[in-house]
Amino acid sequence: MTSSTKFIGAVEIGTSKVTVLIGEFNGRELAIIGYGECQARGVIKGVVVDYKAASESVHAALEAAEQSAGEQIDLVFLAQTGGHLEGFYNEAAVSVKSADNMISPMDIDTVCRLSTAKELPAGRMVVHNIRRPFRVDGRLVPGNPEHLVGQRLEVGYWTVHGQENKLADSIHVIRGFNLEVRELILASLASGHMVTTAEERQNGVLAIDLGAGTTDFVLYRDGGAHTTGVVPVGGSHLTNDLSLGLRLTEGQAEKLKLRHGRALVQARNKNDKVWLEGNFAIGDRQFPQQTIEQITAARIWEIFEVVKKKLGAAFSPENCAAGVVLTGGTAKLSGIAECAAKVFGVPAHLGESPSWVAENLRDPGFNTALGLLYYGLVSQTERTAPARRKRGFLQKLFANA
Amino acid sequence: MRDSADPTSSRSWREIPQQVKTRAMSRTGRNRFLLSSVKTTATLVLGFSLAFGAYEVIRTWSAEPKKMAAAINTAPLKTIDVLTDGVLDRAWVTRTLALPNKVTLIELDLHPLQQRLLESGQVRSAVITKSFPATLTVKLAERSPVARLKGQIRDQDPQEFVVSRDGAVFAGVGYESEIRNSLPWLAGVKLVSQGKGFRPIEDMETVADLLAKARNEAPQLYQTWQVVDLSHLASDGEIVVSSTDIAKIVFSKNLDFFVQLARLDYARDQSGLRMKSVNLGLGPQVVATFDGATVVLPTRPAATERPRVPKPIFAFPNSQRSSRSQRDL
Repeated sequence: MTSSTKFIGAVEIGTSKVTVLIGEFNGRELAIIGYGECQARGVIKGVVVDYKAASESVHAALEAAEQSAGEQIDLVFLAQTGGHLEGFYNEAAVSVKSADNMISPMDIDTVCRLSTAKELPAGRMVVHNIRRPFRVDGRLVPGNPEHLVGQRLEVGYWTVHGQENKLADSIHVIRGFNLEVRELILASLASGHMVTTAEERQNGVLAIDLGAGTTDFVLYRDGGAHTTGVVPVGGSHLTNDLSLGLRLTEGQAEKLKLRHGRALVQARNKNDKVWLEGNFAIGDRQFPQQTIEQITAARIWEIFEVVKKKLGAAFSPENCAAGVVLTGGTAKLSGIAECAAKVFGVPAHLGESPSWVAENLRDPGFNTALGLLYYGLVSQTERTAPARRKRGFLQKLFANA
Repeated sequence: MRDSADPTSSRSWREIPQQVKTRAMSRTGRNRFLLSSVKTTATLVLGFSLAFGAYEVIRTWSAEPKKMAAAINTAPLKTIDVLTDGVLDRAWVTRTLALPNKVTLIELDLHPLQQRLLESGQVRSAVITKSFPATLTVKLAERSPVARLKGQIRDQDPQEFVVSRDGAVFAGVGYESEIRNSLPWLAGVKLVSQGKGFRPIEDMETVADLLAKARNEAPQLYQTWQVVDLSHLASDGEIVVSSTDIAKIVFSKNLDFFVQLARLDYARDQSGLRMKSVNLGLGPQVVATFDGATVVLPTRPAATERPRVPKPIFAFPNSQRSSRSQRDL
């Protein structure tokens, strides 16, 4: 281990569980060396509502991960979700300044600054500014437009913002363990990056992370994230629906959901029944299979419909050639891919981790935490590179002129 | 995709202060905070202490070294270990260093001590090491004498000095008289005072080469050499040697000394007469002066006849280092 080795904790504070992965990053390679998980408390729909309870569960997961790794975490990449997160698109255009119409770094900086310079309402803070591809005289440029020749440079940013106090609450929970939050990353971006390939992102793909309290989605087009969103409805709502509809406790409803829940109604006979426990104990009773399926399918269908509605014009089967990729704990519900395919009108499948992920980390529940490490390191690298360039004396001089 | 650094006027989540009051931390968090605070404080205190300690040590050492010695409580110097490749012994080293009584190692400044040893001229290099608690180790590399001469330092009486290969002139302590007496005398050298000794003699390496070659290859000649005159070395490149049987042997520094020695040996053996002088520095020809006659010896000896004065005598083949000449020597 060298002095430059860092132990990065990827923390996902979910509604049902807190997941922590520890990555050892030596500047070139990342190795997962520790894992901790704890049942979440004090968190509803991805938002901390009970600081003490949330701290206890998150800190327990952090401790477990540190014990498993045998090392102390240096910094944290934290996943962010919740219904308070919203996004909007803003674009700007500049005329290329140089006489020979060659695009300079200054033009790029100017157009980027303009397209992100939009005031947010009070109490809102930017979480991500996701750049969409540049356009030079209306022509799409996937990479860096520097040195290309054109008269008009355009760019748009998808800005994700959240409520300040809710963001602060998540950060303070981590700080309560005396750890610094180095990156705050949208959960959908983290998990989406893990379950989609670069080719799929280029062709257009919708990644949906169905968690317990929220459903996070990200639409990729032209190789990058185009639109993101969070629906504050998840697997726990299915449980709640079953609990209310069948007059069950939450625990019983959760068991029924896991055993017999389906995203599409398959049972044709109303008289087909399933046992609650199946052990013939006192209180064990039967429920119609079709009813269970109808309740769960209706909710899942509704979730997908809401996602589709939120995406609006950004989504169309034509620009989503790679289809829909589903991940998250609720994506284990049988028939969910068929349901998604019906709602969105494109092929859908369950997301799989890349081949380089170890077998014990291939569960969909780890995708967000793994994505945090991967996406966090990539975005850190990308952010530091232009920052160094800006410090040049001449650039500063001309920027002020 | 790039997450912009902060080009917008909107506030970023990075502006959220990450400070959390201790009471808002969990027990583990408080422990970690306490541990990191203790670590930071300890590091600062240690760093400050080290810096202050180093400053105090340097200050005390430069201002009051005796106090420093007392503080360290080292024992007085007991032993001086001498390791040398020559003839100097511990007594000479002790005498030359002239250390005060009951001096401790910590009080000793090694640089002046080293200078004292080097001033003698006989010591080429000296390494002095403090071996705590009470031993001073002195490693010497000595110069070897190749010739001797008489010299006078200021008002002192003239005395005998020896000269090393690099031209250093020194008194030469500890050499046996046999070694001293076997060294030829140097003449034609102007000694120039420098410090407590003399400036090194120039071009002494050439002379040392000749003497070494003679001592190793023709010891019967070398034993007869008495004086080596360097008065024509700088101007004509000639080294003039006076031996017991030939008053003047002229060597040229521009020719191979081995060949010149071989020619001298051959001429001395073949002439059968007492030579007065012989000049070996004229290339293939050797000019020898006998009592009342001068003969130029041919480069190639005749086949059978033994030379007789004033007839030309046999000389050497012109070749350099012939097997014959080596065998003769």
